[in-house]
Amino acid sequence: MAGGEKKKSGGGGKKKEVKKETGLGLSFTKDENFGEWYSEVVVNGEMIEYYDISGCYILRPWAMSIWENMQTFFDAEIKKMKVKNCYFPLFVSPGVLQKEKDHIEGFAPEVAWVTKSGESDLEVPIAIRPTSETVMYPYYSKWIRRHRDLPLKLNQWCNVDGFCTANLMLDCRSREFLWQEGHTAFATKEEADTEVLQILELYRHIYEEFLAIPVTKGRKSELEKFAGGLYTTSVGAFIPNTGRGIQGATSHCLGQNFAKMFESMVWQNSWAYSTRTIGVMVMVHGDNKGLVLPPKVSALQVIVIPVPYKDADTQGIFDACAATVVTLSDAGIRAEADLRENYSPGWKYSNWEMKGVPLRIEIGPRDLANNQVRAVRRDNGEKTDISRVFLVEQVKGMLDKIQQNLFDVAKQKRDACIEVVKTWDEFVKALGQKKLILAPWCDEEEVEKDVKARTRGEMGAAKSLCTPFEQPELPDGTKCFASGKPAKKWTYWGRSY
Amino acid sequence: MVSSLRLPALTSLISPSFTRRSTVSLRRRLHLRPPLAAGFSAQSAASSPTETEDRVDSKKSGRVQDRGSTDRVITPRSQDFNAWYLDVIANAELADYGPVRGTMVIRPYGYAMWEAIQDYLNVKFKETGHSNMYFPQFIPYSFIEKEASHVEGFSPELALVTIGGGKELEEKLVVRPTSETIVNHMFTQWIHSYRDLPLMINQWANVTRWEMRTKPFVRTLEFLWQEGHTAHATLEEAEKEALQMIDVYTKFAYEQAAIPVIAGRKSKVETFAGADKTYTIEAMMGDRKALQAGTSHNLGQNFSRAFGTQFTDENGLRQHVWQTSWAISTRFVGGIIMTHGDDAGLMLPPRIAPIQVVIVPIWKKVDEKTGVLDAASSVAETLKNAGLKVKLDDTDQRTPGWKFNFWEMKGVPLRIEIGPRDVSSGSVVISRRDIPGKQGKVFGISMEPSILEAYVKDRLDEIQSSLLQRAISFRDSNIVDVSSYEELKEAISLGKWARGPWSASDADELRIKEETGATIRCFPFEQPQGTKACLMTGKPADEVAIFAKSY
Repeated sequence: MAGGEKKKSGGGGKKKEVKKETGLGLSFTKDENFGEWYSEVVVNGEMIEYYDISGCYILRPWAMSIWENMQTFFDAEIKKMKVKNCYFPLFVSPGVLQKEKDHIEGFAPEVAWVTKSGESDLEVPIAIRPTSETVMYPYYSKWIRRHRDLPLKLNQWCNVDGFCTANLMLDCRSREFLWQEGHTAFATKEEADTEVLQILELYRHIYEEFLAIPVTKGRKSELEKFAGGLYTTSVGAFIPNTGRGIQGATSHCLGQNFAKMFESMVWQNSWAYSTRTIGVMVMVHGDNKGLVLPPKVSALQVIVIPVPYKDADTQGIFDACAATVVTLSDAGIRAEADLRENYSPGWKYSNWEMKGVPLRIEIGPRDLANNQVRAVRRDNGEKTDISRVFLVEQVKGMLDKIQQNLFDVAKQKRDACIEVVKTWDEFVKALGQKKLILAPWCDEEEVEKDVKARTRGEMGAAKSLCTPFEQPELPDGTKCFASGKPAKKWTYWGRSY
Repeated sequence: MVSSLRLPALTSLISPSFTRRSTVSLRRRLHLRPPLAAGFSAQSAASSPTETEDRVDSKKSGRVQDRGSTDRVITPRSQDFNAWYLDVIANAELADYGPVRGTMVIRPYGYAMWEAIQDYLNVKFKETGHSNMYFPQFIPYSFIEKEASHVEGFSPELALVTIGGGKELEEKLVVRPTSETIVNHMFTQWIHSYRDLPLMINQWANVTRWEMRTKPFVRTLEFLWQEGHTAHATLEEAEKEALQMIDVYTKFAYEQAAIPVIAGRKSKVETFAGADKTYTIEAMMGDRKALQAGTSHNLGQNFSRAFGTQFTDENGLRQHVWQTSWAISTRFVGGIIMTHGDDAGLMLPPRIAPIQVVIVPIWKKVDEKTGVLDAASSVAETLKNAGLKVKLDDTDQRTPGWKFNFWEMKGVPLRIEIGPRDVSSGSVVISRRDIPGKQGKVFGISMEPSILEAYVKDRLDEIQSSLLQRAISFRDSNIVDVSSYEELKEAISLGKWARGPWSASDADELRIKEETGATIRCFPFEQPQGTKACLMTGKPADEVAIFAKSY
C-alpha cells in the first residue's frame, strides 16, 4: 500500500496554518490564488515536504518515482548515444572557481562556502558546486590529449546547491535540486550542433510524451543564452494561469569558449534538466481537487477502491479488488488497492484525487454481481463500467486516452494564450492580458534590453522566451514590434519564471 | 567506517564511556598509511588536478620500468598492495583525484561499477517494499546539536557551511554526514498511528565526512551511498528488517560481486553508536585486511526516544517506533578491486563488469582488414543482441598486443580474438581473464551465433563462479582458528584473520586492539557447534568472533 493517509501534512511551518481539519480539500483555488494553491497542492499531494531551511524540500516517494520514471527513459536514451555516466565532486576549490570569470561573476553570491570542518577553520574555504563546468573542464583538458580521445561524452545525475539560484525546482527560491548535467566535447562544430538538437528532442519527448506538456523548441536570444556559451536552445512551456513562460530544459553549444580557457581546442556542449520538470507538471495539469498525474510518469496508474454497502459481500468485494490488482499488475500496469478499513470510500476518492492517480476503479456489490468494475478518470471525471473480461485492454486504452487528453487540453489552453502582435501597443496590451506573445523582432540585444526596461514593473519585466525553430512566414517589410527596424524573425515574448 | 551510520549524539547518550573522539583517534592510529596514500591525503586544499597528476606521474616514473608493449605500468600487487591499488585506479581509469583534498572524480568505468551495484540493489529494495525519496543535503546545525549532547565527539568530521548568498548565515548548516537527524525530524510528522507503519524508505545520495586520511573509494571526504531508514511498530519487525537487509547485502556480495563476505553481528564496542545491534558484512581483501562492506542497524527505540517519534497503537496508546537503518557505499567498488585484482590489474566479476567481452580484431595486410572487421562487427552484434556488454576495439592506432594488455588491465572477463585465419574458418579465439596464458585460451569456437552466444554465456558464468570459489579458498586459507590470545597474536602478526571463542570484556577487546591492531570484525552468523572456552579468559563462551586488521 502506498502511504497516503496523512491527515495532517504539517510541513516545516510554512503551510501549517492553511490546513482544514480533514486535510483533504484545498483551501485555495488554482484560478484565484495560484501561488498558494501550488504550495498547498504539492504538500497535500505528498510530492514534497517543506523543511526548516527555507528553499530546501524533501522529495517524497510520490515525486521521486516520477523523477525515476523520467530518469529511466533519459538515461537509456543517452547511453544509446554513447554518453557515459560519471560523478564529479561536490566541493570546488576557489582557485578552480576563479578560472572562469563569467562564472564567478554569475554565481558568486549564490555559492555556499564550507569554512569549517568541525571546530577548526579551513585554511582555504571550499565552495559547494553551483554548477559543474568549473569542476569538470580542467579534467576534460587533462583527459583529452589526442584526437582519438574525442568525442568525450559524460553525464552526471546529482544534486546542486545554489543560494537564491535561478534554477528553481518548485518555486523561485529552491536552493537544492536534482538534475542531470551532460557535458560533451567534439572535434568538430557539426558534431556538437547535431548533439545539441538530439538532446533537445529528448527533452521535448520528456515534456510532451511523458509529462503531457506542450513545449516550444527554439533558440535563446543573445541576452538570455547561457553566459559564456555560443548559443542556447531550450524547450519552453507556458503556465496560462500566471501568464508566464517557463524554461523547461536547455541544451547549450558552448563553442570553443571554455576550451580556450583550458587550452584544448574542442567544441563543447552542455545540457540539463532538473526536478523543475515536476513543478511544471503540477502547475500545468493540477486542478482544484489536487494533482493530476499523466499515466506515463505516475507511480500508480490505477487505484482500486472497494465500495461495500451495508450487508454486502464485503469479502467478495475485497477479493475482487485484489484480483483486479493482480490482473492489472501482471499486464504491466501500476495498480494498487486501497483496502484500509478505517476510511470511507468517499474519503479515499478525495485522497487519491488529491494525489492525482489517473484512473480509479470502484468495485461495489452491483459490480460484483455483474462481473464488472467502474472506472473513473481523474482528468475529466468520466465514469465507465468495464466488464472484468476485458479489463486489461480497456484500462490500457483509458490510460492512453488520459495521457493524450492531458496533452490536448494543455495544448489547447496554451494555444489560446498565444497572441500574435506587430506593434508596441499590441504588445503591451497582450502582456497585460498574460499572453504568450509571438512578435516579429529585429534580433538586437539593445532592443531586448530596452523592452525589459520599458516593461519593468510589479509583475517583473518581459523578455524574449525563445525564437521557435518552426517559424511562421515573415513577409518582406515586416517591422520589429519594439524598434520599428526590419524584423528578422518571429520570437516568443512574455514574463517568465 | 564509511558505510556505517553514525550519530554522535547517541554515542554519548548510549555509551558515555566510549566517546566518538576515542573511536576516531583509535581508528586513525590503526590506519597509518604508507607514504603514497598519505600523498593522496596531503594534497593542498586548493591544488589543481594538474598538480595532482604531476604527483602521480613523478611517483610512477621514479619506480618502475616500462613494460614493453604497454605504456601503462602497475606496481605488482605482491610488492606493494597500496601502490598497486592506486595504480589500478589510475590506469584502469576508475577515478581521478578531485580538486579538493580527499575528494575524487568517479570516471565512467568506475561509475559503471557503481551503477551495476545500484541496478541490483534498487530492485531488491523495491521488492522488499521500500520507496525512494530524497532529503536535502543541508541540515541545520541545531538538528545535530539538539540530538548531540556531546557534539564535540564527532564534530571534527562535519563540513560546516557558514557563508551563503554572499553573507554570513544566521545558522550554520551541516553538509549531511548521514541523514538520521533529518529523517527522524520528518518521521515525527509523517507517523501518527499504527496504520502509518511500517514506513520504509531509501535514498541514493552523496554524503560528506571530513576525514583526515583518505583513499580513493575506500574513504573519501564525499562519497555516494544508499541509506535505508525504516520505522516499525514492534521490536520484532525492526529486527526482522535489519536481518533481511543484511541478507540482501550478503546475497549481492556473493552472487554479483563474487565476494564471499562473512555476515555477522558487531561486538558491543564496534556497534554503531545509537544502535541496539549492528549487523555487518566483512570482506577479506587481497592483502588480507578486512573491509566492512555494508552494515544494517537495529536502532531499537534510541532515535525515536531522542526525537519523540511516536505512534498511536491499536489500543490507542502512544508508543515510540522501532527503527532500522542500513547502507552500502562506493566503498564497495574499492572492495571489488581489492578482492579480485592481480598483478596485471583489475579482474572484474562478469555481473559487475561494465564490459563483459572485448573483441580484438587482428590483421596485418590491408586486404585482410575489411574481412576481419566485418566478422568482428557481426560477432559484436550477435553478443550485444544476446544482452551482453560488448566492446569492439577496432582502432588501428594500437597493436593487438597492446590491446590485450590494456583490456586485461581493465579486468574485462573475456576476450575474443579474430584474425584472417579465423575468418576463413568461421571461428574465433577466446581468452579468459581469470586464467592467464595459453591455459585460458580456446581456439576454434564457431562464429555461428547460437553456438557462440551459448559458449560465451557459459564461460561468463564459469568465470563468475570461479572468481567466487577462488576468493572463498583465499579467505578460508587465511582464517585461523585460535583458542588462546597467544595464537590470536600469532595469526594477526602473520596478517591472517583469527577466529576464536569470545566472552571476554569490552576492556579486553580494546586491549587486543591496542596490542595487535586487530578488532572484532563480527560474531559470524554461522557458528561452530559444541562447547567453547573464551580464548582470553578460558571461561565458557557462546560464540566465536573473528578478529582482523581492517580498512
